[in-house]
Amino acid sequence: MTAIPVDDNTVQDPTRRAPLVLGDADLASVTQTVCEIAERPRPPTSWYVAFAVSVALTGGLFAAVGYLIVTGIGVLGNNSPVYWGWPIVNFVFWIGIGHAGTLISAILFLFRQRWRTSINRFAEAMTLFAVACAGVFPAVHVGRIWLVYWLAPYPNQMDLWPNFRSPLLWDVVAISTYGTVSALFWYLGMIPDLATLRDRATSRWRQLLYGLFALGWRGSATQWHRFEWAYLLLAALATPLVLSVHSVVSFDFAVAQVPGWHTTIFPPYFVAGAIFSGCAMVVTLAVPARAYFGLKSLITMRHLDNMNKLILGTSLLVGYAYGVEVFMAWYGGNMYEAFAFANRALGPYAWAYWLMVTCNVIVPQLFWIRKCRTTPWIMFLIAVLVNVGMWMERFVIIVSSLGRDFLPSSWGMFKPTAVDVMMLVGSFGLFFTLFLLFCRYLPMVAMAEVKAVLPPDRGPAPAVEVD
Amino acid sequence: MSSVDEQRSTESWWRSLEQLADTPRFRALLDAEFPAEADPGGISRRRWLQLMGASLALAGATGCRWQEQEIRPFAKRPDGRVPGKPRRFTTAMPLGDAAIGLEVTTVDGRPVKIEGNPRHPQSLGATDLLAQAALLELYDPDRSRNVCLRSGKEKGPRSWDEFLAAFRQQADRLHKAEGAGFCVLTEAHSSPTLDALHAEFLRSFPKARWFEFDPIGDDHQRAGAVLAFGRPLRTHLALDASQVVLCLDADPLGAHPAALRYARDFAAHRNATAGQMNRLYAVESSLSLTGAAADHRLALRSTEIPAFLAILESVVAGSGDLGEAPSEPVRRFVDAVAKDLLDNRGRGAVCIGPGQAAEAHAAVHRLNALLENVGEDRPVGYTRVPHPNRPSHTEAIKALADEIRAGRVGTLLILGGNPVYNAPADLAFGEALQAVETSVHLSLYRDETSRQCTWHLPRSHFLESWGDVCSYDGTYSVVQPMIAPLFGGRSPIEVLAVVLDAAREAKQPAAGPEELVRRTFCQEIAHDEGAAWRQTLRDGLLAESRWPWETVSAPGGPKLEATPAEGESKDGGLELVFCRDASVYDGRFANNGWLQELPDPLTRLVWDNAALLSPATAAELGIENETLMTIEVGDRQIRMPAWVMPGQARGSIAVSLGYGRTAAGHIGGDTADNVAAVGVDVYPLRGTSAMTVVTGVKVEPTGEPYRLGNTQDHHAIDTVGRRGRQQRLGSLIRQATLEHYRQHPDFAKHAVHHPDLKSLWREHAFAGHRWAMAIDLSRCIGCGACVVACQAENNIPIVGKQQVLRGRAMHWLRVDRYFRGREDAPEVAFQPLPCQQCELAPCEQVCPVAATVHSREGLNDMVYNRCVGTRYCANNCPYKVRRFNYLDFHKDLEDPDNEVAKMKYNPEVTVRSRGVMEKCTYCVQRIQAAKIEAKNAGRAIRDGEIRTACQQVCPTGAIVFGDLAEDEDGRESDVLKLHGSDRAYALLGELNIRPRTIYLARIRNPNPQLEATDPEHDGHPG
Repeated sequence: MTAIPVDDNTVQDPTRRAPLVLGDADLASVTQTVCEIAERPRPPTSWYVAFAVSVALTGGLFAAVGYLIVTGIGVLGNNSPVYWGWPIVNFVFWIGIGHAGTLISAILFLFRQRWRTSINRFAEAMTLFAVACAGVFPAVHVGRIWLVYWLAPYPNQMDLWPNFRSPLLWDVVAISTYGTVSALFWYLGMIPDLATLRDRATSRWRQLLYGLFALGWRGSATQWHRFEWAYLLLAALATPLVLSVHSVVSFDFAVAQVPGWHTTIFPPYFVAGAIFSGCAMVVTLAVPARAYFGLKSLITMRHLDNMNKLILGTSLLVGYAYGVEVFMAWYGGNMYEAFAFANRALGPYAWAYWLMVTCNVIVPQLFWIRKCRTTPWIMFLIAVLVNVGMWMERFVIIVSSLGRDFLPSSWGMFKPTAVDVMMLVGSFGLFFTLFLLFCRYLPMVAMAEVKAVLPPDRGPAPAVEVD
Repeated sequence: MSSVDEQRSTESWWRSLEQLADTPRFRALLDAEFPAEADPGGISRRRWLQLMGASLALAGATGCRWQEQEIRPFAKRPDGRVPGKPRRFTTAMPLGDAAIGLEVTTVDGRPVKIEGNPRHPQSLGATDLLAQAALLELYDPDRSRNVCLRSGKEKGPRSWDEFLAAFRQQADRLHKAEGAGFCVLTEAHSSPTLDALHAEFLRSFPKARWFEFDPIGDDHQRAGAVLAFGRPLRTHLALDASQVVLCLDADPLGAHPAALRYARDFAAHRNATAGQMNRLYAVESSLSLTGAAADHRLALRSTEIPAFLAILESVVAGSGDLGEAPSEPVRRFVDAVAKDLLDNRGRGAVCIGPGQAAEAHAAVHRLNALLENVGEDRPVGYTRVPHPNRPSHTEAIKALADEIRAGRVGTLLILGGNPVYNAPADLAFGEALQAVETSVHLSLYRDETSRQCTWHLPRSHFLESWGDVCSYDGTYSVVQPMIAPLFGGRSPIEVLAVVLDAAREAKQPAAGPEELVRRTFCQEIAHDEGAAWRQTLRDGLLAESRWPWETVSAPGGPKLEATPAEGESKDGGLELVFCRDASVYDGRFANNGWLQELPDPLTRLVWDNAALLSPATAAELGIENETLMTIEVGDRQIRMPAWVMPGQARGSIAVSLGYGRTAAGHIGGDTADNVAAVGVDVYPLRGTSAMTVVTGVKVEPTGEPYRLGNTQDHHAIDTVGRRGRQQRLGSLIRQATLEHYRQHPDFAKHAVHHPDLKSLWREHAFAGHRWAMAIDLSRCIGCGACVVACQAENNIPIVGKQQVLRGRAMHWLRVDRYFRGREDAPEVAFQPLPCQQCELAPCEQVCPVAATVHSREGLNDMVYNRCVGTRYCANNCPYKVRRFNYLDFHKDLEDPDNEVAKMKYNPEVTVRSRGVMEKCTYCVQRIQAAKIEAKNAGRAIRDGEIRTACQQVCPTGAIVFGDLAEDEDGRESDVLKLHGSDRAYALLGELNIRPRTIYLARIRNPNPQLEATDPEHDGHPG
């Protein structure tokens, strides 16, 4: 592994642009650093250990899902009145995680935030895997899983359409669109890098497979031209999705009339929360990955610093949303809504609420301190806590609102079962399995893009930006 | 050898000389051995391939063969029988020494629904929950299926013939000994045929003895009447004629044999709209349905009630002798009640419960006489009792146990009942039974007693057998079989007839059960040649057969002490009160899942019984809610969970009988089959000396937690929840005092104020029928019969305690119970909650697959086979009346033994699979049936023609269903009138969901004298 001296690029100096890549990286060394991770004949033992654990957990997830399908939803903790439980909490959680990827890859791209290049591949992969994890839950939590395709609007012999007024249907459309666009975007951006891997491949299999997925990329000017246009267009397509997907997910709740769900603030509040949790997940993954794979010069401290600022910003948004919710509950004068929030803060699920507030609003305030933003272990810890907090947020919204709605006679508590726990833990297994495979076989950093942001003396001839 | 043979022998191989000879015998042998060889042509290659292909295919299909069932058409259709067409027959359900008239719907020969007989004075079309659940008992796969012998090494199933053969020898011997050593034990009954057979039995066996025991009986009533009038009499109330009713530990609306009738009369006389309302006072130790319905309730220990009564008697008589001065609230209550009773002389009724001693009963008789309440057209009357000359049940069972212990019983025939389980504990009846040489037990189940007896005989269910009964008021009904005995059981009448036949040494039975019943009817009831028989069968009762009210002398009896006896004073020991359970009765219905899963009306407990303690007593004793405690009476001790119950009298513990069965079945508990008992058996604490109330009880907390099954956990709740609940109660249950209602008739409309409601989308246009419901909270007494009726009508599964604890009970209709006011004197309100069939239904908007949609008639339809089970609809339902099949709740039906349980299903209603949502549909199957019938007849549907299952069963008529559209002549339906009532309000109407079910605000009629000084009891919400 080439040792690249690590410099500090987090200092704000208005007189110069902070370098986006550190050390003496040049075109060749970038290629070398990124490709050799995927080219090692066998990864280190620790990869195998991590992979084994993840696969085992994934197995647990599928075993739990299998048991669920065979036995019925009753194996979960769901009940009356809490008809939705952990699966929907997990679903919203994972969908939220996905948002940072699209934000970084699409929105930051459109805004010409060139620092995104070293982390976008990574974040996009995370998006995709998170959407995959999220997709498991709504599908398996329905009562008759074998008929779940009835949610799709397809012409059928029953001559029946789904109910287009149902937010769940919007959900199906939003999530599947999101999944498709994210996958396309990720793949499209990876084509030049796949070609690099193909060209460097030594074994026949690698040549074949990378070659197949590189779609005959030769790096000609025409190809680059078309590539960049396509990328730009997809970025433009993906950008509204960042806002729309979680807005639609929030409609699942906002459109219903359950006190605590039925609020107009939900769409922006959910989007902010989603980006918040997604950035936290990026940091959670990037901190160990950059150290482990020797990518510190590409994924620099400035990147992490920026992500942490994003976390801080979105944390403030989320905190503001919490405040507004409580204010509106009081100001709106609706007895049921006022109770829903009093119940959240002081009722039987108060511990969850305050855990959520602590993790999402109080802890991220540490990022005002520069040292916290630039110290890997501190930011890792904070990011993990934010993830916990965001999971709790969905738990609080779903469970505490459903547990006590209008008629006190029907109030109830939710108690998760082992299957619930297994499915949550297993979804992390699935996520990390996919992520570890990604690290093992695909270019973790967008080489072609990073090369474009190398210092001018070491980079390619000044790039002509597309516009 | 012939040339042909020569040719054969050279052309082919041969195996034996026979083959070579090819004799006919060999051919026959060969054909039998190898049938294929019989085909002279053999099998062609093509045919062989076909056959092999087919067998391979069929071999694969063996796993998915259906059970073979034969369908045979009626070669000759029985008269009046159309396959699939429901038919209705009358019968009656005996319970104790009373009965309810029923009308049973059968489809293709199997009973599927039980309704009350509208002609029957004790039913008037309603039933209690026990009658509703009788259907499940009929088809209970745990019912005993054969005669069983248990004697030394000989054990196991036998046939009826084997039993009869064995018994005939005994009968011979007994007959010669004139019945010495022969005893019969029956449960309480009111069957004239059984009485006739009883008399004949005593003629055949003059030295035999006959006992009658029932754990829930009328011992104290009879003894009280003897004290007052010198003979046992039955007290009757005419609640429709009473302006003021005082109930002392009595529950005429709930645990009373005539409760259905009383509830109807009570509700009829509680019509706020007509400005005519009675006033009900209750003084009781444990909250009962009557206590919950009362305008004023005083929680008093059962042992203090005689003292209360003594004071009341003094005040009413104006004697001024109050003994030791009672506490202030009691004094105030007595004064108010006495004044009210005196003001309504001749229009009031005082009634007392079976738990109170004979002296107290006598005092009540005196009080009613003093208040001139007794007589024709007055609220109180007396009639004869069945079996006036028998000893009390307690004495009877004690005498029988003594006989056995004295070795004077050689043969004991037990017709029904379960004395090993429920006889007084000090008699150790099960132990005593071992001393009987031959004991025979006739029972629906192989229960605790059956397992201790030599012979067990399967009993036929009342829906399977002929019989006759007199209801509480004496009305005679014939019990008609609706179906042939499913498990070959016989009724007590049949068994007794067999015994008598054996005594007569008759080869052929003298008469079948129908003949016996009919004979009794002709000879003793109708006194004719059977002219009224068919009419009686058809009507379900013999008209005008109720017992006449007797004229009674001035009641006497000892005067009650105004101060409680020593050791029963206020700060003395605890008292323990045994209660009839609202669902399992004395334990006989313990294996009935519908009843076990029906929440107790007041505690909301399911699948459990608990010791009910007042909050104050629990605090004093250091007992936490839902922890185990030990209860000690004398040297007997049990452990049972505690349930802190508002409204329970301080220092009084109430326990329900009928739980902790060890040989009930797979529902109620069967230790032999490793099925844990449901609840705790409290009979071990019940001795002959104190069958209803025990004093000097020692109680210890153990602190060990025990989770009780409960569907509406209201008590253990955090402060926020409690406050939230109190805050919204006024708008959920709208109520006012009669006085307030008179001044503000539209008060219910002003409980919630909201801005104008606007719809987001185009609303449904309704033309034609607009089905709707109205539920009168003033009438609802919370008995829960509607819940079981709904369960029976709509094939609703039971889920078991664990699933109830997880919040997955499936009842489509539930009765919410709310408390308000002080914990020690709470006011109770009930609110039945079926699907409200919102016109702008929130569930419909969110279902992604359009599985729940609106019908043109305004029903919120549920399409089970379209539902994928996202459960979004249930989340969005503000009433939480949707129920989800979290698991396959019909899984038990896969067991071949449970095949019979499938017969209980209403063929008109889908049995839902796992993973789908279900809910109340206003009994859409009944609506459709009525529509078809009306269409065939070419007429419009009449108002009241369609009645939902809950409506039909409701004893108080609190539920009204009908069409909001006016009929062709512009007449308004009942439900439309109620929707226009000033008391009508839509629950959560401010959500703009427009429920089709409306509630009529609850009106109470408190006594201003008591109300004024009790600020907690503000009768109307702010």
